[in-house]
Formats: sequence, structure tokens, C-alpha cells
Amino acid sequence: MIKKMLIANRGEIAVRIMRTCKEMNITTVAIYSSADEESYHVKFADEAICVGDAHASSSYLHMNNIIMAALNSGCDAIHPGFGFLSENAIFASLVEQVGLIFVGPSAHLIELMGNKVKAKQAMIDARIPIIPGSVGAVTDLSECQRIASQIGYPLIIKAAAGGGGKGMRLVHEQSELDQAFQAAKQEALASFGSAEVYVERYFTQTKHVEVQIIADKHGHVVHLFERDCSFQRRHQKVIEEAPCFALTQTQRKKILNDAVKAAKAVGYDSVGTIEFLMDTSGQTYFMEMNTRIQVEHPVTEMITGIDIIKIMILCAQGKPLPFTQRDITMKGYSIECRINAENIRSNFAPSPGTIAFMHVPFGPHVRIETAMYQGATIPPYYDSMILKLIVWGQTRLEAIKRMRGALEELLIEGVHTNIEFHYLVLHQKEFIEGRYTTDYASVLIKELNTVEEFIRTT
Amino acid sequence: MKNLFEQRKKQISGFKTLLNVSKHLFAKKEMPNDVIHVCATCHKASTLEHFQRNLRVCVHCDAHERVSAKDRLHMSVDEGSFKPLWNQLTTSTKLDFPDYQKKLKEARQSTQLNEAVLVGEATLDQHPIAIGVMDANFMMGSMGSLVGELITRLIEHACEHRYPLILYVASGGARMQEGIISLMQMAKTTQAMKKHHDLNLFSIMVLTHPTTGGVSASFAMLGDLTLSEPSALIGFAGKRVIEKTIQQSLPSHFQSAEFGLEQGFIDMIIHRHEMKSTLAYLLLWSKGGTHETIRV
Repeated sequence: MIKKMLIANRGEIAVRIMRTCKEMNITTVAIYSSADEESYHVKFADEAICVGDAHASSSYLHMNNIIMAALNSGCDAIHPGFGFLSENAIFASLVEQVGLIFVGPSAHLIELMGNKVKAKQAMIDARIPIIPGSVGAVTDLSECQRIASQIGYPLIIKAAAGGGGKGMRLVHEQSELDQAFQAAKQEALASFGSAEVYVERYFTQTKHVEVQIIADKHGHVVHLFERDCSFQRRHQKVIEEAPCFALTQTQRKKILNDAVKAAKAVGYDSVGTIEFLMDTSGQTYFMEMNTRIQVEHPVTEMITGIDIIKIMILCAQGKPLPFTQRDITMKGYSIECRINAENIRSNFAPSPGTIAFMHVPFGPHVRIETAMYQGATIPPYYDSMILKLIVWGQTRLEAIKRMRGALEELLIEGVHTNIEFHYLVLHQKEFIEGRYTTDYASVLIKELNTVEEFIRTT
Repeated sequence: MKNLFEQRKKQISGFKTLLNVSKHLFAKKEMPNDVIHVCATCHKASTLEHFQRNLRVCVHCDAHERVSAKDRLHMSVDEGSFKPLWNQLTTSTKLDFPDYQKKLKEARQSTQLNEAVLVGEATLDQHPIAIGVMDANFMMGSMGSLVGELITRLIEHACEHRYPLILYVASGGARMQEGIISLMQMAKTTQAMKKHHDLNLFSIMVLTHPTTGGVSASFAMLGDLTLSEPSALIGFAGKRVIEKTIQQSLPSHFQSAEFGLEQGFIDMIIHRHEMKSTLAYLLLWSKGGTHETIRV
């Protein structure tokens, strides 16, 4: 039984986890950096321990300090939230080694799904379609050319150890391949200390559809339906919704089955998300699995009525799932807007500062996840999310209209925000139709930047 | 902070223009005139429904407003007990005072009555009565030949069946369009009242606003009991006419029901809410019921 838990995170997700803990009679311990002393997660927790200074590497990423804080305060468990140490297998393993419960999957699962090559191989073994490309690292040019001729163009070369766009090369036709391959390798070596790259088919106009999975330590796996996270700016999700409006029943069935099959195949044992890419023909491919709770989990909670954090904590204690797949139903539609402190007029640059005034919407089926309050300061060291605004509606259109109203009511002063941007997005024909792809946000942003009213008032 | 909300409103309005969200022009809507009642005395408003349920007595100042004959019957006798008499009769078309027929026609239309009085039989708290109700909405409840005839017939009907008589009076007086014929009705109704009286039958006149002219000078003052609603105008000639004739100023409440009570012309002033129960009490009393038996 978990009686006391340390939440190894900050901001709204720490607060979100603590809320469920309080409901479950679990004493909460917050950690914080010296920059977060006045943060709400610190005030809200039963206890709070400073684990280092402002830079994440010496606080929220500092494993030893966090472990010592958990042990010294007598915790039974650590919840990692998302980001920071949430997908760090070494940390998960360390938590278990010191005799605490890691609220998340077993360390070996984090390791497996965190390794792109191993994860792909596991999916191939489970007969889940993956994006066509090289399974392992591609070392020489001739092999790269062979794979390229199999999968066709356009394709993308990525650093095996990489991320964040570094060591990535987009190749539109054969003539560009040699040069791109060499450049990607060099950049990968320079950035990540490894020249390993792999090759994949590159899709445009794709939908990002992901399936929420919950599994226990007894081999039970259920899905909580899917989310559509195709509204992205530079691979950052901005608006998420559940369920995915663009799926046919057959497509939905397939993707949900694939996700459960994939989770079962690797013996998954916690809350996780399997991300799929859907191409223009409706074909879905496994992209990756996130072995943690996700930012956008509330939209799934809104349509299923299930507290995902609660189930995650129960499963971490070894309890079996309190329901079967048949018990889980979805109702209506839910949308989440990530309200960030960023200046949309200067290319969405983060806009840290103090919230001088904040007025949030209430009303039926409106939910807000935040750790911000009037007078609180958004430090420049971490992410710039102020709050998540979530609404539910009987129909998708009702949810869209409710979100527009909620955005109209939401006022935040003192920092730049993307509230107006969200408001405009929710009026676009493409968004309302629900068929928008991951390319859409950048097109819309370009378009809006030529509109005088947008420039003048945002 | 108030400013921030206004700024946002402006911004959203700008966006709506940008997004081509159609802005409706909303035409003003009229308040239906049968919903609100404004009191003529205190000028305060209440809903018409509240006012009606309060028996057309102002909920603010207690002013008793005019009641149509049909409404009066509804609030005065046992539910469904009223049987109208001679209600097919209409005033002779031979009377040709200018515009008279036209005015009659309009009054019939607006009141849905044939004349300014409704007469018939009814029961009040189980007591059979002969009842007449005048309607001031019909040419000011003025007494023409038919009004006089109907009242006379009613009184005679009461004599024949030995019914007590109740008359709700509301009238501006004799009907000038009928000239001498209308004045004739004063004598006619008066002799009928004498007959009723001589038969030892009980009669109550309920004077309501206004009771004036030839009506107040004939049957209206000839009941065994004369009741009135509060503040009703009760008199013969107009106050201004009298002041000019006698060259004297008159008391401020001259010709009010309260003044009439002081001077002994009126026996009781009864609030409209108490009128029906008071009449029931008086009917019982007239038959020899004691205060004690009435109380039960």
C-alpha cells in the first residue's frame, strides 16, 4: 500500500497527481528547485523538499537528490509525471533498487520502448505495421541506397541516438541521397557522439493518432480509446482531442486492436500511449510508445470518466485493473488547448514572467489543469505551459463551441499567451471538419501572419 | 481590471469580423400590452396575471380598479351558478340620436355584452339570489331604456320568486343619447324597488366606482343595505358643476365612498377581497341567522 508519495515533477502535472493522491489518502511530497519556491505544487503538497537550484539538471533531473528526498521523508513511492525523469530507465530501476515503488512501467519496458530500434523490432515481431525503413542502423551508403529503392521517396534519415531535429535529413529524390546520408552521419556524430543513422519513409499530410493503454502487472491490458494530436507546431502538440473524428469504425477498431496487441506483446504493465501515424490512405503505422502519463490524458478522462492517474497508482501497487475492456465506454467529445506563455508575434518565443491577472472560465464540462495563480511567476527554466483548458461536449461541434466560449472568457495578463491563436484555430474550416493533418498548423500560422487584424490585436 | 474584459470583448468582435462570423441585427421587440398592468392610481407596475388574481385590486396601493360584468360575476357568485335572463334583448334600433347605433355596436363588440347590465339568477354560498351587474366598460354603464327594463324585470323576477336582490352598480348616470326615455327609467326602477321592499324582501346595493347621475338618484340608493367598494366615486352631479353653482369649495373627499359613509348615505365600505363573504354573511343574517351560527 502506498501511504506517502513523492511527485518528482513540477507545475500542473504535479498538482494533477497530488489531487488524486489526496483522494486516495496518500500523503504527498513535492520537490522543487530554488526557482519554484512559490510554485503552486509546492504550496499544495503536504510536504515540499527543495532538491536543487533552478537548472533542471541540478534539481528535477537530479536522481540522487530526489531519491534522498523520498527516503528521508518516508515515502513509499515516486511518481515521475511526464518529461524530466519519467522515461529514464536508470531512474526507474534506481527507485526499485532503493525499495520504493516507481509509479510507471518496469524499468526494462522503459528501456525497450525508449530504444527506437528495439521497439521497432518488437512491433515487427508482434505483427504491428511500422513505418517502412531500416530496422537497425544503416552504416554504409550502398545499404542506404538499397533500402531507399525498396521504400521509395520522399524519405528521411535520422540519427539513431537523436531527437529534436538534429542529424535529420529529408530526401526528396535519389540524386539527393548520397549527400544527405553523409551530412546526417556527420551531424549525428557531432551532436550525439554516434554516427548511427536510420532511414524511414517520409509521409506528408499525416494524422497523429494515439491510443491510451492501461495495463496491470497481471497481464491485463485495456485501451481507453484514441486521441487525435495532429495539431502540432514543430512537433509540439498544441491542441488534442478525443476521440479522433477522422477515423472510420474499421480504422478505429484496427488501431485499438493493434495498440492492445503491441502492449501485450511487450508485457506492458502500466499507463502508456502508443502513437500511430495515419497516412492519406488511412493506413496506420506504429510510431512510438510513450511509457508515461501524457500531457493530454485529460481528454481521455473526459470521454471515459476514468481517473487515469488513480488506475496508474493502483497498478503500480500490484492491484489488478478494476475493470475489463467491456466496462469501458466513451461518450461525447473532448478537446484540450495548451495555453502557453509565448509570443505568437515573435515566432512563438517563450514569454516567461509574472501573471498579473488571471480570470479562468468555469461552467459545465469545462476543466482546467494548472499550477498558476494570479501573482505567480513563470520561470524561464522550464516549459512555458500556463494551463490546459479542457472541455467536453455531447458532439464534437458542441465541444468546439464550448471551447470558443471558454477561450473568450480566459484572460491572462502579464505575459504573452497563445489564447487568441487558439480562438482563431477553433474557427477554421479545416479544424472544424476534423481532417486536418500535422502539416496544417504551420500553414495556418503562415496565413495568419498576413492578416492585419491578427497582427494588430495579438 | 474592468478594462481587460472590455479589451477582450473588442478583440473578439474584431476576430468575428475577420472570421466572417455573421453578426445579426436584432430588432427591438415590443412588450405585449396584456402582460403588465400599470396602476392608474399609484402608477406602479405589476404583472397583469398577479393583478387579476388579486381581483383587479392594485397589489401596491390597494386601489380597486374597474371590473367587467363577467369578471364581477365570476368573483361574486357560486361557480357556475349564474343563469342569465333576457340576455337576447338588445336596445331598439329606432332610437336615432347621432352616432348612437354606432357607439352601441362598438360597445357590444368590445365588451361582448348586449347592454350595460347583466341580470339573472345565481346562488351565493348556496343562497338563491337575483343578481344584476352593471359594466362601466359599456358606454360608462349608462342607463338607457334597455338597462332600465332589465333591472326592472330583474327586481320583478325577485318579487315573483321571493329572492333577495343584489345589484352591483357602476354607472355614469342616465344615457344622454336616449334623452327623456332614459330619465323615465329612474321612475320605473324605483317603483319596482318599492314593490320588492313591500314584499319584505331583502336587497343589497353594492356601489362601485363610479355610481353617479340618474342611477345614484334612483334604484342605487334604494336597497335595504348600501355597500360600497373603497374610494368609489358616488354622487349625483359632478364636483366641479356643484362648486360653480354654489360658489363654494367642497371637501377634498367629497363624493367618495368614505365621505358617503360619514354622511350616512352608505352603510359599509367593504374591500373587494371581503365582498363575497360579507354578502354571504348578510344573506344569512337577513334570514335570521345569528352571529354565532354565522361564525361556524
